[in-house]
Amino acid sequence: MDRERLDRPVRLAVVEDLPVVLEGMHSWVAADPLKRVEIIASGDTLEAVLDGPGADADVILLDLELNGVLMIGRIPELCAQGRRVVVYSVHEDEETVLNVLKAGAATFITKGESSEHCLETIVAVARDRPYVTPTMAGALVVADASTARPMLSAREREALLLWFQGMNKQSVATRMGITEATVKQYIERARIKYASTGRAAPTKTTLLARAIQDGLITPDDIIEYQSLAAESGH
Amino acid sequence: MSEPNPDPELLVAQRYSLASTRAAVTIVAAWHLGSDLPSTLIGWSEYRWPLVALGAWIVYSVIGVAASMVLLDPARKLPFGPWAAGALALLADAAVIVACRPEAIMAPANWGWGSVGWLALILFWRRRSWPTDLGLFFLANAIVMLVGMAAADSLDRVWIGKFLVILFGSMALQAGASAGAHGFDLAARWAADNSRTLARAEAAQRAAEQVHADRLRRYAQARQAAAPVLTRLAEGADPSDPDVQHACAVGAARLRRLIAETDDTPNPLLHTLRACVFDIEKRGVVVNLLTAGTVPPLALEVRQALIEAPLEALARARKQARVTLVATATQVIISVLSDAEEFVLPSPDGVHVATQVEGGLLWIESGWTAP
Repeated sequence: MDRERLDRPVRLAVVEDLPVVLEGMHSWVAADPLKRVEIIASGDTLEAVLDGPGADADVILLDLELNGVLMIGRIPELCAQGRRVVVYSVHEDEETVLNVLKAGAATFITKGESSEHCLETIVAVARDRPYVTPTMAGALVVADASTARPMLSAREREALLLWFQGMNKQSVATRMGITEATVKQYIERARIKYASTGRAAPTKTTLLARAIQDGLITPDDIIEYQSLAAESGH
Repeated sequence: MSEPNPDPELLVAQRYSLASTRAAVTIVAAWHLGSDLPSTLIGWSEYRWPLVALGAWIVYSVIGVAASMVLLDPARKLPFGPWAAGALALLADAAVIVACRPEAIMAPANWGWGSVGWLALILFWRRRSWPTDLGLFFLANAIVMLVGMAAADSLDRVWIGKFLVILFGSMALQAGASAGAHGFDLAARWAADNSRTLARAEAAQRAAEQVHADRLRRYAQARQAAAPVLTRLAEGADPSDPDVQHACAVGAARLRRLIAETDDTPNPLLHTLRACVFDIEKRGVVVNLLTAGTVPPLALEVRQALIEAPLEALARARKQARVTLVATATQVIISVLSDAEEFVLPSPDGVHVATQVEGGLLWIESGWTAP
């Protein structure tokens, strides 16, 4: 990813019920040499975090399962308030991943993913840019292949597949005979296509607007994707 | 017969059984309509009270119809059991005797005592104790007739002779029909049992042959998997040689695959992959296994071909490997990204295998696409 600096660190609120995971997150954030992220609040319920110092967070890192309860149902209200939600979980089956994305979460990280992916994701989400973790890539490939009207192009699909298989973007580029920037574009465009499915949220609109600004997609694309979403959503 | 039975032999036996009960019912009806009714009508003048005889004929008919319905549909039952109906039949029998003038007691007009055994035949058909029931009924019938004869003062030698001829004649017909039909039924059931036993034995033999053939095949595969490296070791190869170690690891992984791939699990491909990953983790390699999608049903040969190259890459991994399985309805792709050194890729039939080395990591991908 590009190393464009924010003028201040990303303010992160962590909603997590396991102290050991919270500790780990603190140490990952502390170990980042660029100090891109700062944890401003943490707790084991959404209320405890958002009613306190977490109210001004740029990004909420939400454990999908808090005290044994799945939080998918709470994601839409957070997104409707314009909050950027990053979900992380041990549940990595594609159905869960897609449901989380449809509910409006910006991205999905599994607890098996590395610290690098985790911080990159948080920073990208804070800047309203799409970031696809390898787990998400696998889920998108499979979901796209099983719908009646696939949205991904063959090249986007190939890039996502290699990304899921664990290659870095340079290796994917070598394998596909294209530049790393194009690989990044393919992967992010795939994410944007799926951002327009499911329910509408201000965060998604910002993501789409940013994608148009960056030249990742054109406004025409969005109309097409939204019509697809409208069909599949009801 | 109302309950569904998938066993064809039993079905055949049941059909034979149904045929014999239908035959019995037909005989009883034919006798009652073809013999008892004409005897009543033709002998009308021989009765003291013809209406009593007609009433007895009707009672006999009602018992006959009820017994037939019960016999043809085992779900039904006679309201007070077969012996109550039997007793009523004997009463009807006695009524016919009483209705006759004393001199007509051996005439065809006294049809009841010769015919009532047919009713007993269908009343006691389904009872296990049918021979005893029938014997007792015949005895009771004979006593009723003897009492009737005594009342008519007809107990001389000629009348007793006639009585015995008719009694034994009708009993022989009725008991014979019952024994014949029951024997027929039994034979059909024996045939069905034998046929079923034979089919079971044949199936067991075929299964045993199949198991034996599978064992031979797997033994051959196990030899193929392990023999070369064992031969090398036996010929003095150095176990500390990394090349020999790799060969051992690959042989072990293949053996593991052979053990796991025929297990009966919902997802045999993933099961085999997991079993291999488990073994390689025990060697100290950190393996990250990720899956996306549901694997469609694949033939054993396809699974073997698909897993061969990833398995070798895994076996050769030194410290870390990422294994992924992506499956859609028409495509299954297994990949391994590991720190293994490059090796000569196997290229089994039916799958495509690709590889790339970059940044010290070996990537291999093995894919199957639905034909």
